Amino acid sequence: MITIPYLTAVSTYFSYGLLFAFGQLRDYSRRIFDWWSTNNLHGYAPICLAHEDFYIRRLYHRIQDCFGRPISSAPDAWVDVVERFSNDNNKTLKRTTKSTRCLNLGSYNYLGFGSYDEYCTPLVIESLKKFSPSTCSSRVDAGTTSVHAELEECVAKYVGKPAAIVTGMGYATNSAIIPVLIGKGGLIISDSLNHTSIVNGARGSGATIRVFQHNTPAHLERVLKEQIAEGQPRTHRPWKKIIVVVEGIYSMEGEICQLPEIVSICKKYKAYVYLDEAHSIGAIGKTGRGVCELLGVDTADVDIMMGTFTKSFGSCGGYIAGSKDLIQYLKYHCPAHLYATSISTPSAQQIISAIKVILGEDGSNRGAQKLARIRENSNFFRAELQKMGFEVLGDNDSPVMPIMLYNPAKIPAFSRECLRENVAVVVVGFPATPLLLARARICISASHSREDLLKALQVISKAGDLTGIKYFPAAPKKQEEEKDTIKLD
Amino acid sequence: MYVRALPTTDVNRNTEWFTYPGVWTTYIIIIFFSWLLVLSVFHCSPGMAWTIVHLAHFTVTYHSFHWKKGTPFGDDQGIYNRLTWWEQIDNGKQLTRNRKFLTVVPIVLYLIASHTTDYQHPMLFLNTLAVFVMVVMKFPHMHKVRIFGINGDQ
Repeated sequence: MITIPYLTAVSTYFSYGLLFAFGQLRDYSRRIFDWWSTNNLHGYAPICLAHEDFYIRRLYHRIQDCFGRPISSAPDAWVDVVERFSNDNNKTLKRTTKSTRCLNLGSYNYLGFGSYDEYCTPLVIESLKKFSPSTCSSRVDAGTTSVHAELEECVAKYVGKPAAIVTGMGYATNSAIIPVLIGKGGLIISDSLNHTSIVNGARGSGATIRVFQHNTPAHLERVLKEQIAEGQPRTHRPWKKIIVVVEGIYSMEGEICQLPEIVSICKKYKAYVYLDEAHSIGAIGKTGRGVCELLGVDTADVDIMMGTFTKSFGSCGGYIAGSKDLIQYLKYHCPAHLYATSISTPSAQQIISAIKVILGEDGSNRGAQKLARIRENSNFFRAELQKMGFEVLGDNDSPVMPIMLYNPAKIPAFSRECLRENVAVVVVGFPATPLLLARARICISASHSREDLLKALQVISKAGDLTGIKYFPAAPKKQEEEKDTIKLD
Repeated sequence: MYVRALPTTDVNRNTEWFTYPGVWTTYIIIIFFSWLLVLSVFHCSPGMAWTIVHLAHFTVTYHSFHWKKGTPFGDDQGIYNRLTWWEQIDNGKQLTRNRKFLTVVPIVLYLIASHTTDYQHPMLFLNTLAVFVMVVMKFPHMHKVRIFGINGDQ
């Protein structure tokens, strides 16, 4: 639940109104200017419609230097951020050869596998020499190696399902699998804050899409009842299939899904559950098995479990885990399996080695240490930020913590101020979040040490004071009160 | 003073910003400040200023709510390209609180403008014409109606 000070809401709308008005003015003068100047593009249709491009040209490009910063080292706890400069007011940015070493609070490097690892990297290099960087073919042609077969078994066992299928790209896992599972005549009920890959897959499937209020099982039940009673649009026949799509951790809120209630509602109304664990697999739960382990949900109750390897495992690609029949069906029908290039073999080896480290099968307890450290780090950081008076979203134990900014001008201000102090944060604004709710998203990693976190807290506090985002009163300092009472004695 | 922002179920990013708290207040504040601006720039009577604000409000809202179609984002893939902003809000549902508020504002502006100009012509005629067109455009029966093909698709 996001609590906004009323004045901030009003001033944010006003700022966006001003930016919109100035953007329209500039577009208008640009149109007059272009009408006067000659060009030899007579008869050519425009590449994109002027109004579709408005947001990118007039709002995003003005603060482009805060997004898409190139890095020149592995995304570990500290990363080299390449410096850029612009000669035309941020319309184009040019890279320099210099880079600054910054504390990395933006990578999804939850377990610290993002850079050299003493167990995984030698095995990956060996596999690179043995198998070559790419298989250069789809899974059904010549793209299945022994490593791929081992990976699918390994993932299925880790997640707790009978079988799994792995694809080369995490986004494509959602957008290519959902159209295979459901088609016209089916119903997809998805959470209102689901990721774009799910929205794209749902739109591409041809099924009817309904949305329920974020993480509210009561509203899901109401939508399900309504839709089952009404049936398909126009014909009112019963639905062929109903799939409810939820995510484990919502990447923009840091909230954990209320899985037990949602699963019980879906069982009651006989709908399938599709769980997207992109951010939660490997990061939460006692052995890192994701939100099912954390909330005590039996994996047999969740019909389709999807996840990606880009976050906690330091690799690429995504997987779907389910019953043997489901995976067999997907292997025969899914375009990501039949036509797309298979996941590169060294990346697959990285995932297998990372899973072995997490489970402790490499002979050390580094996995358990990493899981304990990320939980400790997230809880400590979140508690400290809340004590300073920031509005931080997300549940306890979740390594994703968005700090609310709201005003559009605070987005570049916060980002640039942090970069000046050598802390790299990711800020998110309008299309990815609702208009009012711009935020800076912090992702904690197991490779952050206590000193790193303290430095980050100090820099964020200073930037927060300068930009005025401490919307809640700071917690009073208890230690000084205790010292006073001791002195009196 | 804090308000709670509940996440909405509106997937259309062009219109979901209107469902959060604080929009109505911002709208009214912008209208009030534009009246003050007109008063200070043109040095006219308050009634004349309200008439100017009313007619400018009519022009701006006609253009942005009922003329411009589609969304300013490319990745909506043109699903809303035939719908004006008024037809897009609240997912096309009629007679919601937002729509009622947006219908009442021009009427209240009309009442203030006519009262402060003492119902004299020619201001009364222009104001009445503006409010008549405004209110008729917002009727539920006018949803997706294009009279004489004005603003229709190519």
